[in-house]
Amino acid sequence: MKKAKFSAFLSTMIVCFIFWLLLTGQIVSIFKGEASIEVLIAGILASIIISLFSARFFIHEKAFYLFNPLKILCLLFYSIFIFGWELIKANIDMAFRALKPGKLKINPGIVKVPTKLKSEYGLSMLANSITLTPGTITMDIVDQGDETFLYIHWINVTVTDENEAGEAIKGTLEKWVRRIWK
Amino acid sequence: MRIAVDILIGISLFFAFAGTVGLLRMPDTFSRLQSSTNIATLGLLGVIIGGIVYSIGQYADYTMAVKLAILGVFYIITNPISGHSLTKAAYRHGIRPKDGFVCDKYGEDMENDD
Amino acid sequence: MNELLFFAICFVVMALCLIFRLVKGPTIADRAITADCMEILADMALVLFALFSGRGIYLDIALVTALLGFIGSVIVARYLEGRL
Repeated sequence: MKKAKFSAFLSTMIVCFIFWLLLTGQIVSIFKGEASIEVLIAGILASIIISLFSARFFIHEKAFYLFNPLKILCLLFYSIFIFGWELIKANIDMAFRALKPGKLKINPGIVKVPTKLKSEYGLSMLANSITLTPGTITMDIVDQGDETFLYIHWINVTVTDENEAGEAIKGTLEKWVRRIWK
Repeated sequence: MRIAVDILIGISLFFAFAGTVGLLRMPDTFSRLQSSTNIATLGLLGVIIGGIVYSIGQYADYTMAVKLAILGVFYIITNPISGHSLTKAAYRHGIRPKDGFVCDKYGEDMENDD
Repeated sequence: MNELLFFAICFVVMALCLIFRLVKGPTIADRAITADCMEILADMALVLFALFSGRGIYLDIALVTALLGFIGSVIVARYLEGRL
């Protein structure tokens, strides 16, 4: 287990404190101007204690990478519009596949797909996006040499070639994830 | 406002119904896992967004709206992790569909490694 | 106002329908994923009841339920893989 750096600790503490503000409803009282300073100090102490233990699990790379307005704007745009549209399309397809009377039209298989992403957060974000669209589930991520491969269970296999299947499953998703993470 | 909330929750109800029917009808384990994400994405998000609109419009209660948003984000983050780990564990445990896969790259590569 | 209760009852009825799969399901992975889905559906009914009654305290219960469901399914997966 690597020892955490101070910058990783600091950014984990900031994220913990924001989450604490949201969860306890203090952010509403800050906007109304009736928050007391003692309660906020208690929150800061709690997030310092939490991040002392958990900073080494969260961040292994550059700590302040996401503290960048352009990156956050890109992330919001991706997760609301691009990913939302893919989600709605896949959901409608899957719903009619399940509700159609008669024999089920499924064609399941496991395909192997290459990816160009390198960083941990980018890979996990791409894998989670693929799993969250109905019809595809990421099963494993392996490093083979200098390339990274995803194994994806796909409910309606149309092509089995690596590059064509990758284009069909994660064409636009990977392009946008690469703009956020390296 | 009421009509918009009703439409959102109705959409959510439709997708949750589709997920339930898929979970009951699908023939093998992996397809059932696929169908379960239907419940957890649009079936959930409709209720969350409708709830945010309703709690602001009806009660003017922003704490409830923030908590609903946290609930939605939490589900969106954690549900793919449990789905992924259950799929991988089911495969490693030796569960296979009755009709077999169309193509099974994962099994081939696992045999090559051994 | 009453239609929120109607929607909540619909979600609970769907969760009850899934008991069939929970009893029948041939493998343990089926049972785990079905229990997860039942938990999500019950959670949505709880959210709708919180909206109906206008009390935020039910949303805390929904958050705790979500956390427990996630941890439960991950632990079942770890056990199946033989790494527990």
